[in-house]
Amino acid sequence: MALINIATHEIHCKIVYYGIGFCGKTTNLQYVFKSINPSVRGEMLSIATETERTLFFDFLPLDLGTIHGFRTRLHLYTVPGQILYERTRLAVLNGADGIVFVVDSQAEKFEENVQSIAELEMNLRRLGKDVTNFPLVIQWNKRDLPSAVPVAVLDRYLNRRCLPSYEAVASAGKGVYATLRAISKGIMMQL
Amino acid sequence: MEQLTNLIISDDELDSITHVLQKLMNDTSATSVMLLDKSGQVISTQGMSTKRNATSLGALLAGAFSSSRHIAELLGEKDFRTIFQQGVHENIYTTMVEEQWLLVIVFDKLTHIGLVKVLSKKTSEELVNTLERVRADTNHQKSSVLNIQFRSSVEDTIDLLFRD
Repeated sequence: MALINIATHEIHCKIVYYGIGFCGKTTNLQYVFKSINPSVRGEMLSIATETERTLFFDFLPLDLGTIHGFRTRLHLYTVPGQILYERTRLAVLNGADGIVFVVDSQAEKFEENVQSIAELEMNLRRLGKDVTNFPLVIQWNKRDLPSAVPVAVLDRYLNRRCLPSYEAVASAGKGVYATLRAISKGIMMQL
Repeated sequence: MEQLTNLIISDDELDSITHVLQKLMNDTSATSVMLLDKSGQVISTQGMSTKRNATSLGALLAGAFSSSRHIAELLGEKDFRTIFQQGVHENIYTTMVEEQWLLVIVFDKLTHIGLVKVLSKKTSEELVNTLERVRADTNHQKSSVLNIQFRSSVEDTIDLLFRD
């Protein structure tokens, strides 16, 4: 739930990047962190294992500056993707205003992606969100890999709601900002 | 009732929150007191020790709290409504304000945990009333902030800042 503080003239929104392990959620945040104007971003926080797998979440606060007198801030989070962290994902989703579902386009990851989006919808219902109306965008990541499934096929099985979707190669920055723009605008429309 | 997608805190309500937090801080001699939304956003922070890292602290404390509630569920416990983190110098006591906010008290060895528990419960009850007013008032306040001009400017800003 977005927080609008009239006294301090601030608006805060929470965006969560969701998806299977190694699909590129953290990579999206890392790309934004290293490429965006430093005055826009705060410190990036990562709670990861020794092997750099996300254990709890990554966190990147962005400050869009003052818009019509309101300092507008977006807080970007990732969830840990590995199956065993299901409860942790639910904990991080708490209070989210919008979600980016990152898909690993590789054929061998197809089934995992299908399970993960079903889990996301279930988790949103558990949190009392109306899934048909909740800001959600899909990112087809790893489009550069040889075993990438055609987007039309991914779209048919993973995007039955016809949500906005974007092709990406997050490691190279491709599609990262298009996705971020879409979810940010989606959230602002719903405020 | 329409599901709220945001909470709008007015000047008056923030004044009242600040007053309540300040009083709790003085009465317990805590080093800092914070009020967070369950999403990790900071509503108000009083005292020096949390000011500098308030944003990161908000995200981490809310994450830890949310995680502990799931632990409760797995243990068949109805709920963990508080967390106590004990350090060598600083301690943190976190408690829920309904299902929406978290009241966080940071204190050192000069303050007894019993005092923090009792007074934070009282403060939490006062904040429940504030939360109810904020919820009731949010829809009225919405149009004054989130008007067409704001929405159009925010879209322009997003296009400007988030470009390849």
